[in-house]
Amino acid sequence: MIELHGVTKRFGTQLALAPLTLTVAPGEIVALVGPNGAGKSTTLRILAGALHPDAGSALIGKRNVVTDPLQARRHLGYLPQRLGVPLSAVVGDLALLVAAARGLPAAAGPSALVNYGLGDRLDATLGEMSGGQRQRAMLALATLGPIEALVLDEPSISLDVDGADEVREAIRAAKRGGAAVLFASHHLSDVAQLADRIAVMVAGELVACGTLEELAASTGVAWDRRVMDAPIERIYRLLVRGRTRIQDAA
Amino acid sequence: MTVRALLRFDNASARRGRLVPIFAAGFALASVGVALAGLSAGGAVVVQGFARTSISLLQLTLWTVPLLALLLGAVSGAECAELELLTALPLPRTHIVVSRWAAWTIALTISLALGFGAAGVVIGILAGSADVARYVALIGVATLLVSASLAIGLWIGIAARSRARAVGFAVLVWFVLVVGADLTAIALLSILPAPASSWSLLLLLTANPVDSARALGLGLFQADVVAGPTGAALHRLLGGPGAVLVLTGLIAWTVVPLRLAGLRFAKQDL
Repeated sequence: MIELHGVTKRFGTQLALAPLTLTVAPGEIVALVGPNGAGKSTTLRILAGALHPDAGSALIGKRNVVTDPLQARRHLGYLPQRLGVPLSAVVGDLALLVAAARGLPAAAGPSALVNYGLGDRLDATLGEMSGGQRQRAMLALATLGPIEALVLDEPSISLDVDGADEVREAIRAAKRGGAAVLFASHHLSDVAQLADRIAVMVAGELVACGTLEELAASTGVAWDRRVMDAPIERIYRLLVRGRTRIQDAA
Repeated sequence: MTVRALLRFDNASARRGRLVPIFAAGFALASVGVALAGLSAGGAVVVQGFARTSISLLQLTLWTVPLLALLLGAVSGAECAELELLTALPLPRTHIVVSRWAAWTIALTISLALGFGAAGVVIGILAGSADVARYVALIGVATLLVSASLAIGLWIGIAARSRARAVGFAVLVWFVLVVGADLTAIALLSILPAPASSWSLLLLLTANPVDSARALGLGLFQADVVAGPTGAALHRLLGGPGAVLVLTGLIAWTVVPLRLAGLRFAKQDL
């Protein structure tokens, strides 16, 4: 389970995250959507321990990421938007490190890479891999071992069609395994296909959260699951633009 | 298990670049160059023995080793802000900092050992093995200085957060340690009354890792024999507890900055 209770973050005088409260249940997928600067990455980075919240609490499996960080991260899978390790790192060594940190047998790390079709790249540095291979390697390591929470920031970025399919399958597998999945994406088709609930953020605030059907009803958009992409884009634009207009007027 | 995996990961990264062989070649060339620099009365080039080569190399080491280690530490420290994937693992952030320091200390020590070692073989063959212990002691002192300078550099890099700022601060700190502190010492000693000056000198030596390494090096090499009156004064000062104090100070210059770097990184937003 992932829980955020009144989490706030400021960068200097800039409010990056207004008090945010959001829960992702075990086996549930929640997508964070919103324009750039909405606070999606800030939310995910607080859960991963990269940022410290100014107020509120963030919990992974009932363990506070600030006061009990090691236990909270023991079963967290995280895919950052940026690489998060030096390009000079050898992917096989990184896999061994992730396996050791999660208390898994050493072989589990390289095996995960093999499963993602990277068996011949174990000795390569991340700098020697293509963007797609790198993203697949990071995804393999994020989903390594038993995880209670999977947090992904733009997981489909720089992936081709097959790679994007792999990401979707990995997210579904994590859900089937009982993990709470929270991911940020600008790919609304991914969001429509994967998410049980969608959280829309604008300028650090959560402006709407619900199933696609609920969001469609709240915005008055005609809903048809057979043509999913068109309605979700319309819902998104209505929610984001509506909020921006209110803020501009204020 | 986790610490070993982390050290293995950082070690591989530290050794992957060409820095270790480049530094090793640089140290080897410098050693052989210094050893060959002595001229006999007849003008023919002769190879100096280990004792004089060690004294000459010490000065070169005191200038170059802190600069290299401070810069590497600063860049490595600044890179910590980009380790979002590692900090999301169940690893204490202090372990990440200590592992980076250990990996670079090992890599630079290997460079020193390879470079000075290769030159040592040449000197040994051409000039005999007398006083080889002093040469080995030089490598030991250089390793302590590498360790302290890397720790200071890491602290600078983590605090600075960007590579450019970290490199700028590292060069400034190097200048202060290598030149500025000596000027301060000379000024202070000239205005202090004589009885206070020997203790003040000891404290000033301890307050600067480069001076600590210099004093320790000269003391180890029995500098009163080969480094003239300055060496004799240092040797007298460093007899007994003085040497222990300077050595403890040099080790503290590793432990304290490393601890501060770890604490800073643990509280820092990435």
